[in-house]
Amino acid sequence: MIRRYWNINLEEMMKAGVHFGHGTRKWNPRMAPYISAKRKGIHITNLTRTARFLSEACDLVFDAASRRKQFLIVGTKNKAADSVARAAIRARCHYVNKKWLGGILTNWSTTETRLQKFRDLRMEQKTGRLNRLPKGDAARLKRQLTHLQTYLGGIKYMTGLPDIVIIVDQQEEYTALRECMTLGIPTICLIDTNCDPDLADISIPTNDDAIASIRLILNKLVFAICEGHSSYIRNP
Amino acid sequence: MAATVTASTLSSAASLSIRTKPRLSIPKPIKSFLYSKSPQFLSLSSHPTTITRAQSSDIDTSFFDNVNPEDVIVFDPPSPPEDFVPPPSFDEGPIETEEEIAAAYEELYGPAFSGESILGNDVYVMDSKVKKTTGFGSKGKKEKIRDGFEERVVQVRRVTKVVKGGKQLHFRAIVVVGNKQGQVGVGVGKAKEVIAAVLKSAVNARRNIVTVPMTKYSTFPHRSEGDYGAAKVMLRPASPGTGVIAGGAVRIVLEMAGVENALGKQIGSKNALNNARATVVAVLKMRQFRDVARERGIPMEELWK
Repeated sequence: MIRRYWNINLEEMMKAGVHFGHGTRKWNPRMAPYISAKRKGIHITNLTRTARFLSEACDLVFDAASRRKQFLIVGTKNKAADSVARAAIRARCHYVNKKWLGGILTNWSTTETRLQKFRDLRMEQKTGRLNRLPKGDAARLKRQLTHLQTYLGGIKYMTGLPDIVIIVDQQEEYTALRECMTLGIPTICLIDTNCDPDLADISIPTNDDAIASIRLILNKLVFAICEGHSSYIRNP
Repeated sequence: MAATVTASTLSSAASLSIRTKPRLSIPKPIKSFLYSKSPQFLSLSSHPTTITRAQSSDIDTSFFDNVNPEDVIVFDPPSPPEDFVPPPSFDEGPIETEEEIAAAYEELYGPAFSGESILGNDVYVMDSKVKKTTGFGSKGKKEKIRDGFEERVVQVRRVTKVVKGGKQLHFRAIVVVGNKQGQVGVGVGKAKEVIAAVLKSAVNARRNIVTVPMTKYSTFPHRSEGDYGAAKVMLRPASPGTGVIAGGAVRIVLEMAGVENALGKQIGSKNALNNARATVVAVLKMRQFRDVARERGIPMEELWK
């Protein structure tokens, strides 16, 4: 894989606070190689490692995008939900930013039936059939529609299982990570000092609490995906 | 963690024989009545008969698999190209209307499940793909399935759950699935009808398939023991012409694997499911001589001394 330039500079990452970890008491000892120091009761991750891993992850993502693989970005923390949605829309990927319903991937056939229902409801809404039904039915269908829109809105363009999954916080999205592991889907995970780096395939030690740091990492990955797509368009 | 064995594609199916040898522990006068019911009225909950596994074998994660976090890892990015403009973050930059976003997504993925089509593609394109797997009513789900694996039922048992209203009866089927070339899987499935339970367990068995290391005389490379729960199984290779000398579940697993000469003994519990799983454990512990010699870096002759 060719290594490209991804505009990762360490000062920018320090300003966003990527190197901060969680409190000292909550660490996972498997993160010991990635922790460089302990300051004021907080672990500090090694920023060069993070930068290197991030650039390698971007290379991988670029490579995959240029081969037209499908991505899925999962981030359900309410701080990060908005930026996950926007980042995914920018990169033209699928995303899950409200609660990750158990079995989205492992029970894909059931998810497909739900998506079909979603699509039928949308069609009905567009053709205006909902206004011709009695009020009670129409209200019920509209509620279903909003329900499906919040939970499945980001994956409505997904035709099959994704090829790479990007997970924002490992503690929060443990179910999502486990699903990907059972199915054998490679995952990129943003790890903090209280997470297990051996679970995901690609783990990037960052700070998952600060919105700025999540946005920075997502920015780089989204940039890589966009570049991959455009390189596919240039030479398929 | 790459995916292990994937279910092979829908090639021409070999003739499968579901030889039901139900060994029931409880005498069941109801059994004949159940078999006379037509199978079309099985539970229409569409459990998938095809196993979806992600095809991601060409994503190269070698850097991350081989990196040793204890080493000193340097960060030396290549120099930026001359006209590199740092791109805007995803928040800034031009705000796209919904239509532009929908058009862009549709270009990449087709209209999928979104319910609207801006580029003029057919909105119901996913129907044809989804309806195939969940067939309805007339032919049910394709019973005589696909991919060259033969199924054999080890045990069908009627199990009961006692609730306030009475007893709820289910059937639990244990099925061993294998092609005779060294791949076996053991699966369990429960349902209210025997046939549905057998189907479920076959699907389950196809999900956990292991490969049996075999020599050219269709036997094991060496002895091994495996245990699962209270069932302990001892497997021993045999010279050609011996056949499979083992009891019950162990024999079925070995036969489905294609092993022709072996000795096996169930030590400990005689529970069929646990013994089947214990043989799988025993088989997983075995190594081919070639691999061990390569790992240890010694010629194979040393291993036979």
